[in-house]
Amino acid sequence: MAKESNQAISRKPESAMKHILSFVLMIAFTAASFFLVMSDAVPSGWVIPLLLIFAVVQVFLQLFTFMHLDQKGSAYYTIFIIFGIFVAVISAVGILLM
Amino acid sequence: MANHTDSSTEMPNHLETATFEGKNKVLGFWLFLGAETVLFACLFGTYLALRNQSLDGPTTQELFDLKLVALATALLLTSSLTSVLSMIKMNERNMKGMITWLVITLALGLGFLVLEIYEFLHYVHEGHTFMSSAFGSSFYALVGTHGAHVTFGIIWITTLIIQVLKRGITTETAPKLFVSSLYWHFIDVVWVFIFTLVYLLGKVG
Repeated sequence: MAKESNQAISRKPESAMKHILSFVLMIAFTAASFFLVMSDAVPSGWVIPLLLIFAVVQVFLQLFTFMHLDQKGSAYYTIFIIFGIFVAVISAVGILLM
Repeated sequence: MANHTDSSTEMPNHLETATFEGKNKVLGFWLFLGAETVLFACLFGTYLALRNQSLDGPTTQELFDLKLVALATALLLTSSLTSVLSMIKMNERNMKGMITWLVITLALGLGFLVLEIYEFLHYVHEGHTFMSSAFGSSFYALVGTHGAHVTFGIIWITTLIIQVLKRGITTETAPKLFVSSLYWHFIDVVWVFIFTLVYLLGKVG
């Protein structure tokens, strides 16, 4: 039990700055996604791949900052969610190609 | 960490995982989120497969209004930030700060929900209903399931605020607040894919 509480102490309290920075990045990626579609700035073949990349980047920002997966002791959480994403991608692609 | 002599050695910095039960709650919740990911992936797959089957009803290009979607996105994304800020306040044992951020989170979530209800009413008026086409069915199944998650999240966080007002921030209430915050971020993660794959892709064609 003593070991358990020591582990909890050794993790530093979080600063709000990291989350605000992550939020600004997410807003920027979201704005870029909307801009891609509302303007004709990039060739049409590039729009969909870029949209997907922007979405994936935002999800990783959420997972590793807002959802605290960057902290110590998150290995099992990461395994669970990655396995979920693995099955999810197979399911979605399977339904799409059906 | 032997040189830790400040008052933080009295109480752990992360209240949500300070007890064995709290740790298990968070771990179990991540397993639940893994399953939720699969649920939404199936709804996304169905929607993407059927989105062009609009029969005589309006198509995605005619229907969607990106300004409304941008506003809804801004509300939900900001609520995700306020939710994480409330968790920081929780670990500082700052009850007033935590509840303030939680109430702002709820207000933004409610704003999002009002926009979505308005949007659905507008679509039904345009002849785009659950029964009108395969596009309609898959659209409402996907976006509606997300909206139901937002509704549940608002009810859940409201009841947690009532409980924490009665019991204070303890090793019992902290894991509950923490997993509700994880849930809220997950809702935002799903929304990122909805605005990308449903609305923006609907405009691109």
